[in-house]
Amino acid sequence: MIDTPSAAGEELGGPGWGRLEALYRSSRDDVYAYVCTLLRDRAAAEDVTAQAFERAYRRRRTFDRRRGEERAWLFGIARNAALDELRRRRRLARLIGEPGEAAPGPHDGAEEALRRTAVRAALAQLSGRDRELIALKFHAGLSNREIAGVLGVSESNAGTLLHRALTRLRRACEEEEGS
Amino acid sequence: MRGRRRQLPEDPQLTAELEAIERALSGRPVDPEHAELARLSLLLVAERPAVAPQSAAAIDARVAAAKALPPARRGHRRPRSRRGADRASPAAPGRRRAPALAWGGGLATVIALIVALALTAGGGSRSGSSSSSGRATASSLHTTAKSAASAAATAAPARPSASARAHGSAQTSSPARAGAPSRASSPARTGAPSRAGSPALASAPSSPFGPLAPQANGRQVIESGQLQLTTSPRRVDQVAEEAFRVIGQLDGIVQRSTVNATAAGGYAEIQLSVPEQSLPQAMGELSTLPYASVASRTDASQDVTGSYDADRRALADARALRTSLLKRLADAHTQAQIDSLTAQIHDAEASIASDQATLAGLEHQVAYSSVQLTIAAGRGPFGLPGGSGSGAGFTLSRAAHDAGRVLTVAAGVALIALAVLLPLGLLVALAAWIWLRLRRRGREQALDAA
Repeated sequence: MIDTPSAAGEELGGPGWGRLEALYRSSRDDVYAYVCTLLRDRAAAEDVTAQAFERAYRRRRTFDRRRGEERAWLFGIARNAALDELRRRRRLARLIGEPGEAAPGPHDGAEEALRRTAVRAALAQLSGRDRELIALKFHAGLSNREIAGVLGVSESNAGTLLHRALTRLRRACEEEEGS
Repeated sequence: MRGRRRQLPEDPQLTAELEAIERALSGRPVDPEHAELARLSLLLVAERPAVAPQSAAAIDARVAAAKALPPARRGHRRPRSRRGADRASPAAPGRRRAPALAWGGGLATVIALIVALALTAGGGSRSGSSSSSGRATASSLHTTAKSAASAAATAAPARPSASARAHGSAQTSSPARAGAPSRASSPARTGAPSRAGSPALASAPSSPFGPLAPQANGRQVIESGQLQLTTSPRRVDQVAEEAFRVIGQLDGIVQRSTVNATAAGGYAEIQLSVPEQSLPQAMGELSTLPYASVASRTDASQDVTGSYDADRRALADARALRTSLLKRLADAHTQAQIDSLTAQIHDAEASIASDQATLAGLEHQVAYSSVQLTIAAGRGPFGLPGGSGSGAGFTLSRAAHDAGRVLTVAAGVALIALAVLLPLGLLVALAAWIWLRLRRRGREQALDAA
């Protein structure tokens, strides 16, 4: 799912239709997962995902390869769309419900299910920034370099920020499991 | 979070844990020390929200529709009809993201163009006045005395003492026939007058309006012309300058000129004197000055052969009388005779001087024709820059002159537009920068509050 899109015809300064199509096919689920984790709303995630790709298609000529890879560019668009959605919610003071919980897998044992529940609860306790880092890394499958491109930080800083977020998540998991 | 590119110190444990995460995500074995972290990483991957089939279909449909649209410029807004039509409760982010930059830029451009056009249109009269070399204030009257020295020295038109004795004729063209005026012909037009004192007109037209009457052999004819031109209020001064140039080329003299150039209009009255052989050419070129149209033209000629001959005879008589008196003075013996003859000689010399002056004035009038040129501001249509007459065709110099004026006006308009656009552009850029900063801050705040 995190494959680099195949090189297809390119337009001047931006990815061509073929390349965008490949990018869409390879990144749709990743973008959705990232946005869903960030927004904690599946319906909104669907809309924002579609919105992100619509923006990407419209602004394909604004893509500058010197400023990063295509996936980083795409997730930057998705991030802005998701944050705009969060802003809109703040203005409307409308709380969106938690994302629908994934049902335990059929082969999950009790301990595994408990563990997953703890992780889910800990993830919900994290701040938006930490949750975004977790989503970019583990749900969208971005490398640290791509995360750095999305967030506008250096690659080492992206790793450090990710490590901190993960540390807080582990602490929250321990608290959840201890309670 | 953007902009935080400050390098954080490397931590060996951090590096090891990040490496463990990468190995776990890629399915490679992990150091037992980091087994818990690897398990957490795999759990997080397992918690990845999956796209429901119906959601995937909806996203595919919307993106497929978006692909059909042409790439938009920055700030392009998706048509409102498509928004929300795909979903019952659309949560379209960025929906209210107004393309302020594009709107602001467009608005500024429109305002600048309007202001520039208004200034240009309003400055039309001002430009006309300013082109009059500093004498453009309204209702200011300036009298120019171009070639004043030469005019005073050589022209000094003597009052035609013989005019009362002479007969004349006139050719007049009406404004409606400025292009090809017909003339009121006189009986004596076709040839030399049969007797002294009769009107004499010439033949063989050469100018667009026809030539003035050339002198018949041995006859003395005073020729003159009156020309009334109309031009746009802004070009009175320019047309006058052109008239001066024409007269200068023909070795003519500007005896008196009054050029009044104002923002509302203006006029010019110019008294010219040109060599009589150049009069047809002068009238022709003056009638076809650029940016001017002929309102009326009068060509007049006056045969003064009779008075000229009379003056010559009188002069000869006076000289003969003086010669006779001088001889008698030489033979005089008494003081009374001497005094009487001396007085008569003085009178004869005075008569000779008077006759000489009269004759010189008459000869000057014959040699130099007077032209009364009047330039008035009026309504168009006026002559083209290349001249309204067929004789003044399109020339390279006139084209260069017009091109220069066009470039000057274009540069002026561009300068005015720039003067308006620059501050507006700076304001728009500042507003856009503030808007972008606020939007970024709002997004980060939304992330913090999430």
